[in-house]
Amino acid sequence: MTTGPQAHAIRVLRRRPGLNQDGWFRLALRGVAILVVVPILWMMVDTFSVTVPVWERFGIPGFVTGLRWAPSFTIYGALPFIYGTLLTSAIAMLIAVPVAVLIALLITEILPPRIRSSVAVTVDLLAAIPSVVYGLWGLLVLVPFLRPFEQAVAGTVGKVVPFLAGPTPGPSYFAAGVVVSIMIVPIIAALSREVFAATPRLQREAVRALGGTRWDVIRTVVLPIGRSGVLAAVILGLARAIGETIAVTMVIGNAPKIGASIFSPGFTLASVIANEFNEANQELHPEALIALGLVLLVISVLVNGLAILVRQRFARGVGRVA
Amino acid sequence: MSLSALAVSARLRSTSRSRRAKDRALEVCAWASLIVALIPLVAISLFLVSQGIRSLSLEFLTSDPPGDLSATGGGIRNAVVGTLLMTGLATLIAVPTAIALAVFSREIGGRVATSVRFVVDVLAGLPSIVVGIFVYSLVVVATGHFSGFAGAIALAVIELPVIVVATDELLRLTDRRIDEGTRALGMLRWRSFLSVFIPTALSGIITGIMLAVSRAIGETAPLIFTALGNNFFTLDMNEPIQAMPLLIYRNALNSAFPAARDRAMGTALVLVLIVLAFNLLGRWIARRARPADQR
Amino acid sequence: MTSAPIRLQPPPWAGATEAGTGLGADRANEVGPEAELAVELDRVSAYYGARRVVREISLSVRRNAITAIIGPSGCGKSTLLRCLNRMHELTPGARVQGRIEYHGLDLYAADIDPVAVRRTIGMVFQQPNPFPTMSIHDNVAAPARFNGLVASKAAENELVERCLRQAALWDEVKDKLKAGGTSLSGGQQQRLCIARALALEPDVLLMDEPCSALDPIATLQVEHLMAELKRQYTIVIVTHNMQQASRVSDETAFLTMGDDRAGYLVEMAETIEIFTNPKEQLTEDYVSGRFG
Repeated sequence: MTTGPQAHAIRVLRRRPGLNQDGWFRLALRGVAILVVVPILWMMVDTFSVTVPVWERFGIPGFVTGLRWAPSFTIYGALPFIYGTLLTSAIAMLIAVPVAVLIALLITEILPPRIRSSVAVTVDLLAAIPSVVYGLWGLLVLVPFLRPFEQAVAGTVGKVVPFLAGPTPGPSYFAAGVVVSIMIVPIIAALSREVFAATPRLQREAVRALGGTRWDVIRTVVLPIGRSGVLAAVILGLARAIGETIAVTMVIGNAPKIGASIFSPGFTLASVIANEFNEANQELHPEALIALGLVLLVISVLVNGLAILVRQRFARGVGRVA
Repeated sequence: MSLSALAVSARLRSTSRSRRAKDRALEVCAWASLIVALIPLVAISLFLVSQGIRSLSLEFLTSDPPGDLSATGGGIRNAVVGTLLMTGLATLIAVPTAIALAVFSREIGGRVATSVRFVVDVLAGLPSIVVGIFVYSLVVVATGHFSGFAGAIALAVIELPVIVVATDELLRLTDRRIDEGTRALGMLRWRSFLSVFIPTALSGIITGIMLAVSRAIGETAPLIFTALGNNFFTLDMNEPIQAMPLLIYRNALNSAFPAARDRAMGTALVLVLIVLAFNLLGRWIARRARPADQR
Repeated sequence: MTSAPIRLQPPPWAGATEAGTGLGADRANEVGPEAELAVELDRVSAYYGARRVVREISLSVRRNAITAIIGPSGCGKSTLLRCLNRMHELTPGARVQGRIEYHGLDLYAADIDPVAVRRTIGMVFQQPNPFPTMSIHDNVAAPARFNGLVASKAAENELVERCLRQAALWDEVKDKLKAGGTSLSGGQQQRLCIARALALEPDVLLMDEPCSALDPIATLQVEHLMAELKRQYTIVIVTHNMQQASRVSDETAFLTMGDDRAGYLVEMAETIEIFTNPKEQLTEDYVSGRFG
């Protein structure tokens, strides 16, 4: 029959040649993905090619372990800045991690439910403050505030331990570490909160039913289950600390060498780039700064990648337990 | 009570006393940590308000800074406008791109999507100064000069991962039954995303955008390499342009001069108010969207 | 339940579909036995990867009738249904073997557009799934609008009213068409989904346990609806509720799970035969409640 149901069916259901609309849609999506990923990769390649003269001059190990940074003599070495980055990050983590984890525990385990989200939002506000404002406050308020404390330490313990000795000019690794610690507390706290909140109720209540205190619940259930999640949060905090630029550059004192104590001025990888780039007109100076940026990039990608892996492990772990 | 029962009950009581003591200690430490963390928040707020408010005036917002940082007077108009222009353009670039990437991730799926998500996650973790260097190599070197466009691109790269992650998380929550419903109705996929999935996820996406914008407005480091800054007022994005964080930074470096100090404080106050407004607005939208029992 | 008359539309192949052209084409005009069958299955098997869940099912679905597929849970009834509108293949690794003919046309031929198939063979699901961000009006109108089936706002409003009447929902929602689709009760939402499916002017309507999430009153409303709808559409319903199958359907197919954990067709016949005088012992056992 040329009319009737079959003819109608043929008319309506037959495909037109070529891609159907869903196929075009998927193609367009792939196009966008390529358009985004390719320039990003290109940027990395381009940046690397700018720095080639630096690697040729010093060699990769030579540059990375070089102790001197003297643009006027065209001598560049990354070690003082790597040292500064590691030291300030370490100080920041030592302060921030216990504080942040305790805050997260406070919010999820101790506070009454009604005020939990208000307190959480308030802590998160710390993350909203721009880095430059932290730097401004750090420079004008925190550094002078810390000086008496620094002098006290330098005057006592510092006499025995050179690492903690004076002089204490103010801007220093220590000051930078303190400022950065304030900045990374909200990140570690927020992620740890999520981790603790994901603890299975069943296990919590089991401990309570056996007469356990909140501390018992935390000790036996929340922390063990949340271990890798908190680790991921800490690593992400570290990643942020490593990359912090502007606040650091305003309170670290800007000295391109390895300071003798934590109260000495110094530089981090990020802060030296920000500080010197706009006036970098010596030979190879801009290229060397960008090379420092690449070193920072490599460290950052490694740390972030580690965080992502640990986080995946946590996600899988919670799935199994729950 | 028998002797053994007495012994047992005594042991129970003493154990629980020491556990209770640890419990109290934990509580004290936790509260102490909260206070320690909140002290800077309060201190910074007081600092900004007390020091910055005396710089605020209509003139402050409508005139440009003097050429010499140490001179008093003038305002921050060029910086405010520059920030708005660059952040606006950056958001215009970042939002459709980010949503498209998230849709790509959901629709194409599989290993390709996982690797794209991985690239986005790595991008999210990059220090903003590294982003600045990248955009410098790609745009500033290629065009030969610093510009507001380069700054906008850098800010877009910073906003992108935040919005992608927010959109992706929300699209993940799309009810499978709704998805099946659209397929059973023979709806084209682009149509399903445009008219069903994205509108359902919209408030969460808007929150992500607000948080991304509040972050981008405060960024300084990437702008050092791209927009550079400018003492004059300009609407030309093809030239170096000023932005509020840059202005604060440069004035802070000269904070020995009281005029520069005051200018930095005033700008910082304005900046923080704007950033907080976006941040809190974004959170408020997110709360309203969640069903009442989850708030 | 509405008492207003339902306006019939002529079947799509009877020429230009203009709104309000009165009663549908006279079925007596069509000759030939193939006019009686809407869908024919020939040794259809369905797989998830290497695992077969439906084994070699052959049956025919009569036009303008309600065909019920019954059987114990897990025996592949829903999977079989989803093969009819090419939804099964959407699961990664899923595939269909065998031949499914729609009015003589092989639905799985390479030159058939599966999206078009789903517009012609519509589906209503177990859980109502109205679009949450659309109003009642838009829930019904949007899919039709996206497919270019309505030319103007007036035609759209007319379509919405017609479909809501067909779904026996018009009287309850006509004053709140702008309200959200999810603001209705469960039974109303399901009828909304039926109206939405009807808006695409399908030929066949597949219903996958449409009443299992509804209360008894809503269930009866939907069953009454089906009896009206079959005048114009072909309906295939999967249900685990035997009483429902015996109430509404004209023909019934009984599936059960074989030893290979795949569903197979035990028996298919007129509903009255299946329930009062089945040929197979298994069927007899199932309908008298001895298992399942």
